[in-house]
Amino acid sequence: MFDSRLIALAFVFGPLSLLSFGGGQALVPEIQHQTVTVQHWMNDTDFADIFAIARAAPGPSTLIVALIGWQVAGFWGALVGSIAIFLPSSILVYLVGRWWQRNKQSPFRKAIEKGLAPVAVGLIFAGVVVILESAHAGWLGLVTTAAACATLAFTKLSTYSIVGVVVASYALLYYVFPVLAGS
Amino acid sequence: MSSSNEAAIDEFGVREDVSLLNIFVTFIRLGTMTFGGSVQSWVHREIVNRQRWLDDKTFLSGLGVALVLPGANPVNIALYVGLQLRGGLGAAAAVIGMLLPSFCLILLLGAFYREIGHLGIVHFILAGLAASGVGATLNMGIKVGRRLPRDVMTILVAVCVFVSSAILHWPMVPVVCVAVPVSIAWYYFIAKDSKAKDGKKETKNV
Repeated sequence: MFDSRLIALAFVFGPLSLLSFGGGQALVPEIQHQTVTVQHWMNDTDFADIFAIARAAPGPSTLIVALIGWQVAGFWGALVGSIAIFLPSSILVYLVGRWWQRNKQSPFRKAIEKGLAPVAVGLIFAGVVVILESAHAGWLGLVTTAAACATLAFTKLSTYSIVGVVVASYALLYYVFPVLAGS
Repeated sequence: MSSSNEAAIDEFGVREDVSLLNIFVTFIRLGTMTFGGSVQSWVHREIVNRQRWLDDKTFLSGLGVALVLPGANPVNIALYVGLQLRGGLGAAAAVIGMLLPSFCLILLLGAFYREIGHLGIVHFILAGLAASGVGATLNMGIKVGRRLPRDVMTILVAVCVFVSSAILHWPMVPVVCVAVPVSIAWYYFIAKDSKAKDGKKETKNV
């Protein structure tokens, strides 16, 4: 019984791994369909709760499978679910990366490097717009974005101190100007 | 930050003296920062600008590979950086390091969410972290964009990709499936003879 649940987790999430284009955000509806409708591991309300937790935690959005796995089969379920969602795509990236290393002088690799760079830059800026839109960032969010961007551009402050400052000032703002947090 | 930032980067833009433990610990720290979908910019700052493990060009081509292939971006980026530095073991150390904090935290949050989930301050601070992550991404985009070659095709590809996914909201997979082959084919077949010029540019960038 225990084992069959783990096997089910591996077989449901393993194939989805290779479909997680674009960082896996687009995969969440399919994960929900599998978890709720096909496998009946939980209902829609539970899934919504789990989705909120996954958004609050750091890490990739596909790590939601760790929580699903936990619900289904405890710690080992969380582990098996996570391995299933990350291993197949990682093996693919590994194989491509190996080819990449072995063909350092190939003119084809040079063309790939040059050709991918503008695509990556376009996607980076698109990511900025999409995240700002989906977060419904108010002026406070936009100010934070601009301030973080300027700090990173003009200082050598460590990443961790910047995150620390953001957490501390938001906590302070929350208590000093509770109105801001309401928006 | 660590021992010697001056240590040589080889001709392919990769440092050769980074230990597995160092990779693992660095990615554990980065793994705690992957809020709000902006992980690539934090990794770029730490690996390229501060630790100088990879040069900009090597990182960026890896980022392209990581974004285009399936899989979560933080995992793919960690895997690529680890692989470049120390082969398969380096890749495993980086990926496990990257996922370990998130994995533990998400299970902890799952256990405590019913108690703290309704607290406004939790959501407020998370929104602030997401916003600063966007700032980091913007900063990386500007830095990297300024180093792109200034030919018409490069600019055209970058702008088309941006417009189609950010403004027209086309799904990413078809956009990438068209843009990547076109862009690579351009550099492979047409812009091939501009090698001498590029060589000079590259040394300047490193």
